[in-house]
Amino acid sequence: MNLGIIIYILGYVLKIEAALLCIPLLVALIYGESAWTAFLIAALVAFAVGTVLNRKPSDMVFYLKEGCITTAMAWLLLSLVGCLPFVLSGSIPSFTDALFETISGFTTTGSSILTDVEALPVSCLFWRSFTHWVGGMGVLVFLLAIIPLSGGSHMNLMRAESPGPSVGKLVPKLRATARILYVIYFVMTVVLCVLLMAGGMPFLESLMISFGTAGTGGFGVRNASCGDYSPYIQWVVAIFMMLFGVNFNAYYLILLKKFKDAFNMEELRAYFLMILSAVVLIMISVYDHTLTFADTLRHVFFQVSSLTTSTGFSSMDYDVWPDAAKGILILSMFIGACAGSTGGGIKVSRMVIAVKAAVREIGYYLHPKSVKKVKMDGRTVDQAMIDSVNVYIVVFAMVFIVSFVLISFNGFDLVTTFSAVLTTLNNMGPGFNLVGPACNFSGMSVFSKYVLMFDMLAGRLELFPMLLLFHPILWKEAAKREQRKWLRKKEKQ
Amino acid sequence: MFDIHGAPSKSKVKNSLKIVIVGCGKVGATLTEQLYLEGHDITLIDMNPDRLAALTDIYDVMGIAGNGASYKVQQEAGIETADLIIAVTDMDELNLLCCTVAKRAGHCQAIARVRTPEYSDEVGYLKEKLELAMIINPEREAAQEIARVLSIPMALSVNPFAGGRVEMVRFKVPDDNILVGESLAQIGSLVSRQVLLCVVERDGQVYIPDGRFVIRRGDMVSFIASMKSARMFFDRIGIRTHVVRTAMLIGGGKAAYYLGKRLLDNGIAVKIIEKSRERCEMLSEILPDAIIINGDGTDAELLREEGLGSVDAFIPLTGLDEENILLTLHAADVSNAKAITKVKRNTFHNVINKLELGSVVYPKYITAEAIIAYVRGWSVARDNSNIETLYHMFDSRVEAIEFNVGENSHVTDIRLKDLKKKDNLLIACISRNGSTIIPGGLDVIKAGDSVVIVTTHTGFQTIDDILL
Repeated sequence: MNLGIIIYILGYVLKIEAALLCIPLLVALIYGESAWTAFLIAALVAFAVGTVLNRKPSDMVFYLKEGCITTAMAWLLLSLVGCLPFVLSGSIPSFTDALFETISGFTTTGSSILTDVEALPVSCLFWRSFTHWVGGMGVLVFLLAIIPLSGGSHMNLMRAESPGPSVGKLVPKLRATARILYVIYFVMTVVLCVLLMAGGMPFLESLMISFGTAGTGGFGVRNASCGDYSPYIQWVVAIFMMLFGVNFNAYYLILLKKFKDAFNMEELRAYFLMILSAVVLIMISVYDHTLTFADTLRHVFFQVSSLTTSTGFSSMDYDVWPDAAKGILILSMFIGACAGSTGGGIKVSRMVIAVKAAVREIGYYLHPKSVKKVKMDGRTVDQAMIDSVNVYIVVFAMVFIVSFVLISFNGFDLVTTFSAVLTTLNNMGPGFNLVGPACNFSGMSVFSKYVLMFDMLAGRLELFPMLLLFHPILWKEAAKREQRKWLRKKEKQ
Repeated sequence: MFDIHGAPSKSKVKNSLKIVIVGCGKVGATLTEQLYLEGHDITLIDMNPDRLAALTDIYDVMGIAGNGASYKVQQEAGIETADLIIAVTDMDELNLLCCTVAKRAGHCQAIARVRTPEYSDEVGYLKEKLELAMIINPEREAAQEIARVLSIPMALSVNPFAGGRVEMVRFKVPDDNILVGESLAQIGSLVSRQVLLCVVERDGQVYIPDGRFVIRRGDMVSFIASMKSARMFFDRIGIRTHVVRTAMLIGGGKAAYYLGKRLLDNGIAVKIIEKSRERCEMLSEILPDAIIINGDGTDAELLREEGLGSVDAFIPLTGLDEENILLTLHAADVSNAKAITKVKRNTFHNVINKLELGSVVYPKYITAEAIIAYVRGWSVARDNSNIETLYHMFDSRVEAIEFNVGENSHVTDIRLKDLKKKDNLLIACISRNGSTIIPGGLDVIKAGDSVVIVTTHTGFQTIDDILL
C-alpha cells in the first residue's frame, strides 16, 4: 500500500477543512462570541498539520485499496479536527461527546448528545449544521472538484465516498463530474434557503436548516427540531428532504433536458412509490381525528420523508405513534434514499436489485434450467453486481448485529438499543424510545458512543472502507513497503 | 522512435476535444492513453464491460458498454456534442457504420479503421462519400513503413516528414564511421546541402544539434532528405549501400498481402511462406507474381531450402510477436539480409529495444500515432491560425511545427545563419510555391512561405517565437 499518496491527499483534506473552519469563525466574529478563538485555533491546527502532510510523494500510484483507506482516514481526521471547536469553546466539554457530535455531523446522521441545543453559541450551532452540508456530498468529491489530481485512478476516491452500488461519471472527466454534482447541490441548497426565508425564518437559521436538509443530516437548531415551525416551512423542508434523497444523476439528466430518461429511472420510481405507500399506510394507522386531515398528512409526510432520506428532522414526536406506523418507518429507514444522493440507508437501487434477484431465484424453482438476466433501467445487471449487492446486505446485517450486541450492554430496552444502532448505521439521527426524537444519546456509555461512531462512519462510507481500515494484512504490507524504502535510503547513504 | 509508453505530454491543449472511441482493443487502448494524457475528454464504447473497466480504472475517462453503432449508445456517449469519433473495433463494417451513424447524429469528425484488402482500394471513395476525416489501415501503413525502410535498407526507420514532402531517416552511426568525432559544421562540407541532420539521440537524451555538435559512436542520428539524397548521403559517409531485390515474408496475413503488393510494384521479387493451404491459394490468386510457399515459416530447414542465406530482406509477419522476434534473431545469425520485425504488442518495448533487432515496426502504434497526429494538428490549428500542423516525435520530446509566415513577421528576408534563433531549434524545411527547400545558412524565409521547425521547446505560437 502506498502510504505516501494517502498522506498527501489527507494533507489536502485538512487544508480544505482549515478553509471551511473560517466560515464559522466569521459567524462567531459577527455575533461577537468568544468561541471565535476556538475556531481560529482549530483552523490553524488543521492548516499546520495539513501543510506538513501535504508533501508530494515520489510514487503517485493509486489503487482501490488506497482510495478506501484514504477515504476512511480522511473522514476520521476531519472529525478529529472538526470536534476541536466544541471542546475548546467549552460548549461540549467532553472529547468523546464532541467527537460523537462531529462524526454525527459529517456523516449526516444527526444523532445528538446535546439535551439543550439552544444553549449552544450560534457559531457552534452553525458549524454543527455546516458539517452536514460538507459531509452530504462528500469531502473527497469536493477535493476532486477543486484540485487537479492527475490520473484516472482517483475515481477510486469517489467510488469509496459516494453512496450506491455502482458509481459512474456524468461526463468523461472526474473533475468536471465532481463540479457538476457540487453545483447542483449548491443551487438546490440556495433555493431551499430562499424559500425558507420567504416563510419568515431568519437568514442564519434558514441557512442552518438548509444545510441539515441538503446533507440529509438532521441537526436541528431548536430543541423541538422542526416542531416549532409554521406548516409552510414544514412542507418546504419535507419536500426538499425528499428531493435531496433523489439520485443526482436524475437532476443532471433534467439539466440536459432529458426529462424522459430522468423520470424513467427505475430507482426513482421505486423511491417515490415507496414514499407514497409509506405515507398512505401510516395515514391509515394514525388518523384519529385529533388533528385535521391536512395536519396529519403534513406530519406523516414530513416524518416519512425525513426518515426515508435518513435526514432525521421531526415535526412532532412520532414515538407516540402506533407500532404499525413505527414498523413502516423502520422499514423505510432500512431501505433509505437513492444511490448517488446525499441520503443514507441500504439504498433503493440495492433493494431493487436484491428484490429482482430474489424473484429470479424463486423462478429457478419453477424452471431450474431457465436462463434469466436481472435488468435495471433496460440494462442487464451483471452477476458480479448482484453478488456485491447481496454481500453488502449481508455485511450490513453482520455489522448491525455485532453493534447491537455491544450496545445492549448499556442495559437499555431492546427498542432503544435496536433503534440506536439502526439510526446510526443508516445515518438517520433519532431512533425510538430513549433515543427517540424527544430524547438523545447522552445516556449512552463512552464505549457505546465509540461503537456508534464507528457505525455512523461505516454507514456513510458504505461499510467496506471502514472495515478495510482494520484489515491487518493491509498494514503489514504498508509497513513492509516503508521498511524497504527506508533500507534503500540507508543503503544509498 | 515513437513514444510507446506515453510519457505525459507537457503541452496540454487549451481547448480539450470531446472524443468518442469505439473499441477498446490494442489500438483503442493506445489511443485512450495518448489522448487522455493530452487532456481531452474521452468516452469509450465497447461491448465488453471488462475491457472497458480495465481502461476506466487507469484513466480518467468514461466507459459505456454497448454496441457502438447503436444510435442510443452513441447518444448516451454524448455524440451530439462530441468533436470526434474514432471507430477502431475488429470489424470494418461496424467501424464504418459507427462513423456513418455518428455523422448523422452529431457534428463530429469521424475516423474509421478499415483493413480488409477488398475495401482498401476503395478507401478514397469511402472517405469521400461517407465524409470521413480519415481511414486508417494499420496493416497497410505498416507495409508502407516496411517498404520505405527497404528502399533505404541502411536506415532503421524512414518516416514521411512535413506531410510527405521529404523523409525523416534515422540510422545508427557505426563504430568506425567517418562521422565519428566530427562536428556538424565539418560534416556539412562533406555532404550535400540536400541533407539536414536534425535530431541526435544519445544515452536516452534527445539533442537538436548545432554546428559545434560532435557526433560520437553509437549515436542515433535522424536527418531530413529526399529518398534520393538520403541514398547519396549514405554513399558519401561510406555506409554500404545494397539495393533490396529479393524479399522473404513469413506469414501470409493482411500485412503480408499489402507489403507483397507494394514490393512487387517496386520491382522486388517476393516470396511468402504461409502455413495454411487455403490462405496460400488465396494469396496466389491476389498476388500472382509472388512465390507462395505452403509451409511452416518457423522451420529452419525450410527457410534454408528457400534461400534465407541469400535473400536481401527478411520480414517475419506472423501473428505472434515472439515468433517474429525469434525469426529475426535467427536470420541475423544465418544471413546478411535486412530484417524488419513486426511487433503487435505495445508492452515490453524496453526489452525489445535491448535485443538489437534493428528495424522494428509496430502496426498498432503507427495507427494510433497517425490518429494522434491528426487530433493534435487539428486541435492546435483550430486554436491558432499560424500553425498548419504539429507533430510530436521521439517520445514527444521533439516537436515539429509547420508555421505559415505572415507579412509582418520578423524572420523574413534574413539569411538563416544571421538569424538570432533560440538554442535547440532547427529550421528543417521551407515550402515555397509548391517546391520544398531544405535550407542552408544562406537561405532566407519569405512572407507566404510555410516553414517547418524542429525543436525541443514547446508551446510556440508563431514563427517569431523562434527568435531569442
